[in-house]
Amino acid sequence: MDLENCRGIMVYCEIDVCGIIDNSLELIGHANTLKEKMEHYPEVTAVIIGSDVGSLITVAARHGADRVIMMDNPRYRVYRPDLYSDALAAAAEKYRPEILLVGASLSGEEIGPTVAMKLHTGMAAHCVELKIRDDGQFVQVVPAFGGKVLGDILCPGFRPQMASMKAGMVSKRIFEGKVAEIESFDPDVRGFGDRLQVIETIPETRKRVSLSNAELVVTGGFGIGTQEGWDKLEHMAELLHGVSTCTRPALDAGWTDKEETMVGTSGVAIKPKVYLGFGVSGAAHHTCGIKGAGLIISVNRDANAPIFEVSDFKVVSDWEAIVNAITARLEATSAVCPDPDRA
Amino acid sequence: MFEFFNENQVMLASVAKELVEKEIATHAAEWDEKDHCPTELFKVFGQQGMLGVFVPEQYGGAGLGITERSIILEEVARHSAGFAIALMTHDLATAAILNHGTEEMKKTWLPKLCAAEVIGGLSVTEATGGSDLSNQATTIEKNSAGYLLNGRKVFITNSHIANLNIWTGTSGVNEKGRKVLSAILIPPETPGLSAGRKENKLGLRGSITGEVIAKDVQCGPDSIVGKEGKGSAVALHTIGNYGRSGMAAIALGILRASVEEAVKFGNERIIYGNPLSKIPEMQAIIADNQVEYEAATAMLYNATAIYDNGKDAIPKLAAAKYFATEAAVRASRRTMDLMGGYGVINEYPVGRFLRDALANIPSGGTSQIMRVIVAGSLLR
Amino acid sequence: MALTIAVCIKPVPDSEYYNKITIDPVTKRLNRDGIPTVINSMDKNAIEAALRLREKHGGRVLAFSMAPDTAIENLKRVLAMGVDEAYLCSDRVLGGADTWATSYTLYKAIEKTGPVDLVIMGNQTEDGGTAQVPSQLGEWMGVPHLANVIALDYEDGGMVVKTKADRGTIRYSLKLPAVLAVTRDCNEPRIPSVMDILKVGKKPMRILRAQDLDLNPDFIGIKGSPTQAGEIYSPDMSRKSEALVGDPDEIALRILDELRKAGISIG
Ligand SMILES: Cc1cc2nc3c(=O)[nH]c(=O)nc-3n(C[C@H](O)[C@H](O)[C@H](O)COP(=O)(O)OP(=O)(O)OC[C@H]3O[C@@H](n4cnc5c(N)ncnc54)[C@H](O)[C@@H]3O)c2cc1C
Ligand SMILES: Cc1cc2nc3c(=O)[nH]c(=O)nc-3n(C[C@H](O)[C@H](O)[C@H](O)COP(=O)(O)OP(=O)(O)OC[C@H]3O[C@@H](n4cnc5c(N)ncnc54)[C@H](O)[C@@H]3O)c2cc1C
Ligand SMILES: Cc1cc2nc3c(=O)[nH]c(=O)nc-3n(C[C@H](O)[C@H](O)[C@H](O)COP(=O)(O)OP(=O)(O)OC[C@H]3O[C@@H](n4cnc5c(N)ncnc54)[C@H](O)[C@@H]3O)c2cc1C
Repeated sequence: MDLENCRGIMVYCEIDVCGIIDNSLELIGHANTLKEKMEHYPEVTAVIIGSDVGSLITVAARHGADRVIMMDNPRYRVYRPDLYSDALAAAAEKYRPEILLVGASLSGEEIGPTVAMKLHTGMAAHCVELKIRDDGQFVQVVPAFGGKVLGDILCPGFRPQMASMKAGMVSKRIFEGKVAEIESFDPDVRGFGDRLQVIETIPETRKRVSLSNAELVVTGGFGIGTQEGWDKLEHMAELLHGVSTCTRPALDAGWTDKEETMVGTSGVAIKPKVYLGFGVSGAAHHTCGIKGAGLIISVNRDANAPIFEVSDFKVVSDWEAIVNAITARLEATSAVCPDPDRA
Repeated sequence: MFEFFNENQVMLASVAKELVEKEIATHAAEWDEKDHCPTELFKVFGQQGMLGVFVPEQYGGAGLGITERSIILEEVARHSAGFAIALMTHDLATAAILNHGTEEMKKTWLPKLCAAEVIGGLSVTEATGGSDLSNQATTIEKNSAGYLLNGRKVFITNSHIANLNIWTGTSGVNEKGRKVLSAILIPPETPGLSAGRKENKLGLRGSITGEVIAKDVQCGPDSIVGKEGKGSAVALHTIGNYGRSGMAAIALGILRASVEEAVKFGNERIIYGNPLSKIPEMQAIIADNQVEYEAATAMLYNATAIYDNGKDAIPKLAAAKYFATEAAVRASRRTMDLMGGYGVINEYPVGRFLRDALANIPSGGTSQIMRVIVAGSLLR
Repeated sequence: MALTIAVCIKPVPDSEYYNKITIDPVTKRLNRDGIPTVINSMDKNAIEAALRLREKHGGRVLAFSMAPDTAIENLKRVLAMGVDEAYLCSDRVLGGADTWATSYTLYKAIEKTGPVDLVIMGNQTEDGGTAQVPSQLGEWMGVPHLANVIALDYEDGGMVVKTKADRGTIRYSLKLPAVLAVTRDCNEPRIPSVMDILKVGKKPMRILRAQDLDLNPDFIGIKGSPTQAGEIYSPDMSRKSEALVGDPDEIALRILDELRKAGISIG
């Protein structure tokens, strides 16, 4: 697309059974933050692709969409990456945004680069920061080597400038009472036709742990060592009303099966008030997911563990001693005294 | 890495490393503690072509040499010297058959040994002294059905798991009235052969060492390995080339482990607010370990190349075995010093390295005997 | 039907050594000295998936990589795993490519060596890690493509594939040719055997230069990349790292105290 005629920021809204996912709502909010730094104060456009999704317009508006493109058609009832990509590409071609944002979810990772190819433009993946430089240039900050290195990516010569961002990197914004302009758009898209078919979609049965509102997370690393140790750590997390999360090696060890609680580059980014880590070494892959934490406290027996550099408080100790002590304290205070007379 | 390795040898080292890191590294401490031999892994090494690599392809091997075998054993011993000696001894039965056995024995047993369908052992040492090789109480008597074997062997690796055994025993006396030895192959399921006591060793745990007892073991007429009365030659050739190169390679693994563990601990441990490795004395330890590792590497792989080129390497392999096994004791001991009190805590592997290094020394012949061989080759 | 399968391999710095990666304060370039280059780990899953299909249905597996000449070493390892032929696209003019230009070059290289039935790739690399190249290659080829593949098989002339989705799994059927990007859940990559290592020297391996591939010069290297790399830096995440000391019980009390101060209510 030529540079001149492109305006505004477009955000692709990903949908699940509960509606537009947080990841997309966060991006709509962040698009407003970007737009406030842009010259023409351009529009933020949300693209909703689905079947029977009219009720989501107000949600998009309340989170900051100036305009909502509704691509509401039964053909979108079941997710198919090729159809959705064709649809989003068609919307981008018609509405010509200068910036197009996609959540870095598993489906976003399919749709984003496909759309970038169709539009012959560049895409920056898994951005940790998106900003408008003083000269007006859109700067996309991407991690490499698992977050050890960050790099600025620019896309000056092509439009739209595309970027993906993981959930939890930026915050949602609420625009009470905001009303969005609505446009329906129903291009004839076919994807790969019958060359690609969905046989079945198997929804996850287990309830997922939600980390977006967790105030306290207790993270266990490979240093926990055993299943019994892990159970002990989870017990303490429960007593603290915290949510337990893990590193990749702890997940691989099979101590927990809650994949969605893996923190880091290939997992989630979290922003709790407090991060309490035990037996975590502090690889960049992991720590890039916790930089939004208010307070970081870590326990590791290796005085030189890299996790300590990114911690507010460090404890050089065997994790178990500390967990036992905290658990004992919590159990002591919560125990009901059997003989009230002695209390 | 040895500078003169060819491309295949370089890749073999990295592939073996990957296999060892996957199958062995995380279990080595537990095998040591429980003195458990992971017999199921023989098959894995067999499938990877890492048993009997020196066996020609026609008999199921890869057609390489003892250099490649040493490369593999070094990688295994980097994480588990105990399991390495179990693999290394299995190969001794293979080597004895390959170099001294009949065509029939080679065809029957080498493919099975290479695939670990059978597990091999070599029984030479007796209570009267491993160094005094020719003085064996075990008897191999000719009878109408073939040969009858009676005796007791001690310090035998794979004693309780080997089902294809090669024994030496006295089969008569020569013109001068001295005992002469023969070597004999005992196939699996032969009645009369049993394992006795399993030794509780200081090191190389995770390999089984124990007694093997033969009581009226009847072997067939074609079961002599090599010529009748030439059993010492079979034992000396097999142990002198395959046994000692193997033990030296295991020592290399321990040496490398001692270097790497010293570097890791030195960098991680903070003392006076700085990593331990900033202290010159501690750097000297790391340097000494590396120098001995490099020296041992050069000696061993030079000697194995000589053997693989078809030349006599017995004195050079004895020298390499002597130097490498003794150096492994010094190096693991130094790493232990570097670690201070942590060195003696069993959560760290260095105590195991030292115990393994010590247990390495007698196997395949003691250091004194190695010097006898080296000097003997010069004073001849 | 015997399958001709292409696998795409990227050599990457070994992730075990990432803490040794530094940025030169003057040149602002990455310093990777002393860090060994290995095959991207999910690409090993891709190779394994291709080899299993070949073992079951017959055919050939060809490896493609766009990387400097030194990647020959990595490709030898790929051949040792059992791949039949390897092609390395190496040329100065290909350097600095983003995913758009990378996928174009891979597309042209695969096209050059003849038609393939299937392309299997890693889902994501360990260094750049964009997870963009597979979909973009699929688009260049104009064939169905899926990412996040956790299981695959060839049935009745097409592929049946299971992918990991955000909230469950999806099963698809695809007609060939197709492009699939696999994750590490897909399989356990094999370790080459000694015999496999010995076969490497006998297998075809070729370096393809830009002139060997009928390339559009505007689509390759830095010039053909829509994205431009700006400055690189290491994120400064350091915090005060104050030590909490004492016996475990004293430390536990301090931790609980800090939690309360941070606004966590403790029962
Ligand atoms: C700091 C940094 C940030 C970057 N950010 C971006 C960015 O945001 N957007 C962008 O377009 N580019 C970016 N790049 C460039 C990008 O890394 C390269 O284009 C790279 O060649 C391919 O991308 P990838 O490593 O992300 O591959 P992925 O898309 O993650 O790779 C998936 C699979 O594609 C195959 N594959 C990928 N590369 C090759 C190859 N060279 N040869 C053979 N097969 C291959 C492999 O099977 C691999 O498993 C960045 C590079 C750096 C160093
Ligand atoms: C492509 C790629 C993507 C990745 N993505 C992620 C990701 O998203 N998230 C992630 O977490 N990792 C990820 N990783 C893995 C990452 O590189 C690290 O390996 C991982 O984060 C380390 O996890 P850990 O700290 O639990 O384990 P280790 O690094 O093994 O650390 C264990 C720590 O526990 C300490 N310890 C041991 N025993 C005790 C004890 N008794 N008491 C106290 N402390 C003890 C040790 O000193 C050590 O510091 C990824 C890797 C790659 C290659
Ligand atoms: C872990 C382990 C595994 C083993 N596995 C096997 C196996 O699988 N098969 C097998 O047959 N054997 C095996 N052995 C036995 C090994 O070969 C003998 O221990 C070794 O040959 C020494 O014999 P010895 O223990 O009887 O000591 P001795 O021969 O009794 O020696 C005692 C001391 O006398 C010294 N000495 C003896 N003769 C001389 C001399 N001429 N000059 C100077 N000093 C001398 C020795 O150096 C030593 O210091 C194994 C041993 C160990 C420790």
